[in-house]
Amino acid sequence: MAPSPIIRLSKVSKSFKDVQAIKDLSFTVSKGEIVGLLGPNGAGKTTVVRLINGVIAADAGTVEIFGQSPLAESNSIRSRTGVLTESAGLYGHMTAKENLAFFARIYGVQDYPSRIDMLLQEFGLAEYKDRKAETFSTGMRKRLGIAKALIHRPDVLFLDEPTTGLDPEASRDLLGYIKELNARDGVTIVLATHLLRQVQELCHRFLFLHRGQLIESGTLRQLEDKYLKSFQVKVESDLKVEGPSYRGFPLQQVEPGVLIFTVETKSQVPELLRQILSEASVYSAEILGRDLETLYFNVRGNFRG
Amino acid sequence: MDRRAMWAIAIKDIKAIRSSVQVWLPMILVPIVMCALIPGGMIYGVRRFGIEGMGNMGNMDSLAKLIDSLPPGSLRDTITSFDSPEKQVLYFVLNHLFVSFFLIIPLMLSSVITANSFAVEKERGTLETLLFSPVEIRTLFAGKVLSAFIPGMAVTFLCGLVYGIVVNVLAYPLFEELIFPTLNWAVLLLWTIPAVILFAIFINVIISAKVKGFQEAYQLSGLLVLPVLALVLGQALGALVLDTQWLLWGGAMVLALAMGMLGFISRHFDRNRLFESQVS
Repeated sequence: MAPSPIIRLSKVSKSFKDVQAIKDLSFTVSKGEIVGLLGPNGAGKTTVVRLINGVIAADAGTVEIFGQSPLAESNSIRSRTGVLTESAGLYGHMTAKENLAFFARIYGVQDYPSRIDMLLQEFGLAEYKDRKAETFSTGMRKRLGIAKALIHRPDVLFLDEPTTGLDPEASRDLLGYIKELNARDGVTIVLATHLLRQVQELCHRFLFLHRGQLIESGTLRQLEDKYLKSFQVKVESDLKVEGPSYRGFPLQQVEPGVLIFTVETKSQVPELLRQILSEASVYSAEILGRDLETLYFNVRGNFRG
Repeated sequence: MDRRAMWAIAIKDIKAIRSSVQVWLPMILVPIVMCALIPGGMIYGVRRFGIEGMGNMGNMDSLAKLIDSLPPGSLRDTITSFDSPEKQVLYFVLNHLFVSFFLIIPLMLSSVITANSFAVEKERGTLETLLFSPVEIRTLFAGKVLSAFIPGMAVTFLCGLVYGIVVNVLAYPLFEELIFPTLNWAVLLLWTIPAVILFAIFINVIISAKVKGFQEAYQLSGLLVLPVLALVLGQALGALVLDTQWLLWGGAMVLALAMGMLGFISRHFDRNRLFESQVS
């Protein structure tokens, strides 16, 4: 049986003056999931995070988290959620330790000195604990921002563009922390981003937003099955082939020793490889065009169409 | 109200004063200039050069008129009881005109601190983080009010102390008695100024919530000084005597206005409104 939803939005709409930010949005998030809220800038990702946390009110529809309305039970809900905003929301004139101590007091955390030490250690900031946050690099600020969002051991963590402005190494480290946090502590994570490549391996499920509407959702496998009508398999092999196909599979030779085959279903891939292996060597094989970015553009194209 | 969170916000904001030169510089300069240099220079000048040597202040006719125009009462009696024009002038200026000057200091400082505390949170994105936390809006406001009220009062008392020392030490050889503090000063420091500070804080909360940044908030709050300047002018022209009764009633009126604004703030600033108006 699927776990019960921890977050539920039903036909939610929200406008700011004349701009419709969210329109008829419905989705659920289950306990322990990492859900990617994907879409370009202005798609409504940040507004969704704000609605779920009850800092803004929906014009229509219902928002529930932990089975309660975030507007009615706002403070009890906010004490169970952590939010990393895009700017990280830190006080530059305060040290890393002072920032965490301040938020610990705001969230009513008991025995926070040990919790602070643990988080600083975990996020690789222990040796910088007495440095002012304004002297930190973007990566360090984001790490401190997540530590701040986790100070009160939230059940749900919202991360708004957590890797924006980070170099590839810092992004990888940060996403590693997030994955570990989910696996170890079971924290439900809602991650709003437009950087698709980075979250492909991290998220269990994806919600695609476009102009405030949910245009698609599902796991990578579900999206693949729905949107990829044929598969291209790139094979590095010493197979000698003449002509535009090999045993009924259309092919292109992109360079000597590299062939790209087209198959209709994924289940044809093992058969293709078996046949090649029966007469030549295979050094590598990779299905092309199944990454999240390609799927995203397929979804967008389909929606427009 | 969550007192722990309230004090956390207040202490955080008080510490933030140190990191903003726009805030701490006036906190140091204004008291030094208004509470030590100006009164000290004036007493020194009168003692050294006499009334005639002090330019406009030596215009005995206008001073006599000003003192004559004072309503009958303790201030006029006290001033006319002094045997020399130097003493009369100094007593009048130090214990009468400076009373309204003293109102400017806390008004200005609490305005700067409040404008800084709200607008900077907004500019740096930390207000958004605070609104995402379980802290109640009234706790947030209470913390912010304390963070401006405590330094405002501390600077006021410090000013009073410095002013008292400067005035008494430098004027003692002339008066041969301590002329500070009077009952007026006690009422001013303990009743009128706290009310003025609260008023300035609340009005700045409203201003800060409506404008985009610190500079705009600070410029608008500067208008608050205008009524006090009118008081200074009124006193200097003899049109107004800020005696004890005036200070008591004035303080009560300002406090009533402040409470009215507090009611406005609590009615108009809930989390959703604050978020939508302050966080882009």
